[in-house]
Amino acid sequence: MLILKTLARHKPMHGFAIAEFILETSQGVLQVEEGSLYPALQRLLLKDWIVGDWGKTDENRRARYYSLTAEGRRQLARELDRYARVSQAIAAILQPVEP
Amino acid sequence: MRFPRRIAAFFHRDRETRALRDEMQFHLELRARKLRLSGLAPDDAGFAARRQFGNAAVYQDQISAIWGWTMWERFMQDLRQGIRMLVKAPGFTAITVLTLALGLGINTAIFSAVNAVMLRPLPYPQPDRLVSLWEENIHPDDRRFSSSGTSAGRLGGVGRTTLSPANLADYRAASAFEGLAAYDSSPVNLTGMGAPQRVGGEAVTWNYFSVLGVPPAEGRTFLPEEDRPGANPVAIVSHEFWQQRMGGAADALNRTILLDSKPYRIVGILPAGFQSPQKLGLQEATEVYLTASYASALLANRGDHDVNGLARLKPGVSVAAAQAELNTIWAGLARQYPATNANIRPEIAPLGDDLAGSVSYSLWALFGASGLIVLIACVNVANLLMVRAAGRRHESSVRMALGSGRLPLMRQLMTESLVIAVAGCLAGIVTGRLLMLGLTAIAPAGIPRIDTAGMDWRVFGVAAAMALITGLIFGMAPAWQASQVNPVDALKTAARGTGAKSQARWRTALTIAEVSLSLILLVGAGLLLRSFSTLMGVKLGFQTDRVIAMNINLPELRYADGPARFQFFQKLEDRVRALPGVVGVATANRMPMRGGWASGIFLDGDMDNEYVPDFQAVTPGYFDTLGIPLLRGRALTALDTDQSVPVAVVNQTFAHQLLRDADPIGHTMLRGPGAPRIAIVGVVNDIRRKGKDGEIKPEVYLNAAQTALYPVRLADFAVRAAGDPRALVNSISREVWAIDKDQPLTNVRTMDEIIDEAVARRRFQTLLLLIFAAVAVALAIVGIYGVLAYSVSQRIAELGIRVALGAPPRAILALVLRQAGMLIAAGIAIGVAGAYGLTRFLQDLLFQVKTTDWRAYTGAVALLAAVAVIAALVPARRGARVDPVVALRQE
Repeated sequence: MLILKTLARHKPMHGFAIAEFILETSQGVLQVEEGSLYPALQRLLLKDWIVGDWGKTDENRRARYYSLTAEGRRQLARELDRYARVSQAIAAILQPVEP
Repeated sequence: MRFPRRIAAFFHRDRETRALRDEMQFHLELRARKLRLSGLAPDDAGFAARRQFGNAAVYQDQISAIWGWTMWERFMQDLRQGIRMLVKAPGFTAITVLTLALGLGINTAIFSAVNAVMLRPLPYPQPDRLVSLWEENIHPDDRRFSSSGTSAGRLGGVGRTTLSPANLADYRAASAFEGLAAYDSSPVNLTGMGAPQRVGGEAVTWNYFSVLGVPPAEGRTFLPEEDRPGANPVAIVSHEFWQQRMGGAADALNRTILLDSKPYRIVGILPAGFQSPQKLGLQEATEVYLTASYASALLANRGDHDVNGLARLKPGVSVAAAQAELNTIWAGLARQYPATNANIRPEIAPLGDDLAGSVSYSLWALFGASGLIVLIACVNVANLLMVRAAGRRHESSVRMALGSGRLPLMRQLMTESLVIAVAGCLAGIVTGRLLMLGLTAIAPAGIPRIDTAGMDWRVFGVAAAMALITGLIFGMAPAWQASQVNPVDALKTAARGTGAKSQARWRTALTIAEVSLSLILLVGAGLLLRSFSTLMGVKLGFQTDRVIAMNINLPELRYADGPARFQFFQKLEDRVRALPGVVGVATANRMPMRGGWASGIFLDGDMDNEYVPDFQAVTPGYFDTLGIPLLRGRALTALDTDQSVPVAVVNQTFAHQLLRDADPIGHTMLRGPGAPRIAIVGVVNDIRRKGKDGEIKPEVYLNAAQTALYPVRLADFAVRAAGDPRALVNSISREVWAIDKDQPLTNVRTMDEIIDEAVARRRFQTLLLLIFAAVAVALAIVGIYGVLAYSVSQRIAELGIRVALGAPPRAILALVLRQAGMLIAAGIAIGVAGAYGLTRFLQDLLFQVKTTDWRAYTGAVALLAAVAVIAALVPARRGARVDPVVALRQE
């Protein structure tokens, strides 16, 4: 979901940029091994939620730029929706009880 | 969408893998640069980047698993490993592959015959809609009708008969049929094109080609108005006729050819390779097709059956529905014409099934037998694999101890088995192809479509499926075994290399299975052999040696009636009798083994009881020429003529069955009310005129000179020679042509050849099953030998101790033989039970032998036991000769 959201917000990005973005945006809270990003990207590719196009970076280095597909957008909407419901439920449970 | 992507990625997986590595590398570089910018030393930055990234190799593996490549890669790895192992053991590989090639080859060959004869669709458009139509006499004792055609098909009961053309119009009314045609063999004499020749012909209704769905390649098909008596004579010829007899002449259409001395105009030429259903795969092809043009007298007589029916069902109509409709029509006919139709029921069956008929039965039996051989081959290979697996226990244990799972280990062994199976399958297909060539070369004539037997997708499919199944079967045992290995025990005992107990049990079971399977085949072969020798022992009742027979079909146009034909043959007999080296000559409507004629009679004026004996019209020389002894009264003589008293000679069975053993001489018979009274003047010995497996029927011999008594044509001529009858053929032909230069001689065969051809199919079946049994026994011997030799080599130490402690060699021999005896006895016991259950399927192939024939069983058991003991003796003797010093030192 995080990857999808990241890609939804920006133009096509390569792997490192995605990792950087998630790291920065979460202000270092979400720290995982950066390599685990790649199996995740491959899973999304397989499901056709994202596509990867080879392109050149500003420094003329070959890199794969990932972008969201229409199906990926729908999936993101579904996941955000579910997340919202779950977090609302959690919030409701955690709400301090009124004295 | 998902699946294609997965597959596309699969084919580019090397590129993808490289791309991924590249991508991760790029990631690491960027991270390292960033860390450097934040002040880390270059080396530390690289480490930190990698630490932050995690294990790239693990992620690569994960991705590979996501795409589903892992399984494939493991399989390829197993495959490479398997092939390496097999290449390293060429002896083992050769033996297993050869064993499989033999089994699968036999199976493939037989299956390609099954495929050609029964499974492959007929060579006509939409063949599944073609049905064969015949009539079944549901009370076969009722012979109130005459039948003269030969049925093209083979299904149906004993009462199967050809169709009555008079009934055709009624059957055509069935809405289930798109078209209904009739056809019948009608060979003709072709003259005016070189030497006179007899060519295969068929008289067909005008719609015959449209029902088959094959229009002529050139010209047109018949018109309805050409299918009437008195219409302009037209013919359609086969492509082969056009090519071979007319040299492919461009102006062949509309040319006139002389058939039976009558001019026919060619209106159509058929496509190349077209063949009439009744001649599919047979040697004598139909070359000319004429219109049937049924005479009005024939169409008025519903009791006259002489054509074959062929219909095309409308799309979507089932055979059962068409049969139901025919039954309704039949019910109406039976009410309207009870005398001729009440007992005659129309029946249909898919054309292909009908043509294959009884052949399919023996082919399936052979296919079953070849299946048993495949099983035996499998068992043998399984056995060999077990021995090998035992040798590799150490390897398996080490792998397991090092953490390999049972599953990968089993998978590895299964892959190896599959490699063997595939190699065996390929070798089997090649072997099968060779066997098939041999098989068609020695196959008897008369098996429809066997000539087309070859490889096609079905044969390949079955061969591949067999290979896969066999691979699984024989791979299972060793794989299971390997997975049961307990590394601790195995490694402890590995040095001594003794097989596990359960492994010995497995191999014993496999060997028992092998012995019992071969016994089943041996019993089957024994039964067929018994049947064949019984058949060969049957006395025909006449002398076949030095007799040559031939057909001389006199065309109607030149020899209009019986007397004209008789005169021709009388002239011919006089001329041939004068030739040097001729002992006797005979003319008949049909010689033995060549069909005949039956007719109803009334005895001694009793018009209430009708009997139906077989009839022959013969010249006086017939009995001497064929060596049929006269038992009572007199034979037919040259003094009997159309002017003298009608006379007949009958056989013993006639006297026995129709006159209750009374002396037939002096009795009289009538062929119908108002027909001439025929006096019986003599009795001759019974002969089996339908061949060794034919029944003996009451028989009446009329004198060919009394032409008013019989409606059939004289057409067969036979000569008994002093020496080789073949040497006379040329001079006989010259005599025939001296009388009529346009008259061909056909079907020139010695009687011995005719008899031989008649038993050819049985001999073929017997031979094949004997070969199968021999292969099976050979494989079983290898199996028994293998098991015992291995067991002796495992027990060398034990045997050495026994010898050292004073056991005489004889005791050792007995010890090993006892083990062998157990195997053999168990195998034979199971085999006898199996044979008892399976050989019942052979019943239809057997002649006067029951499937429980004790001689076949005891013979098979004795033979198998004997060879098995011999196979066991070799390792047993080796065991007995063990030198204790050497044996114990090995330890």
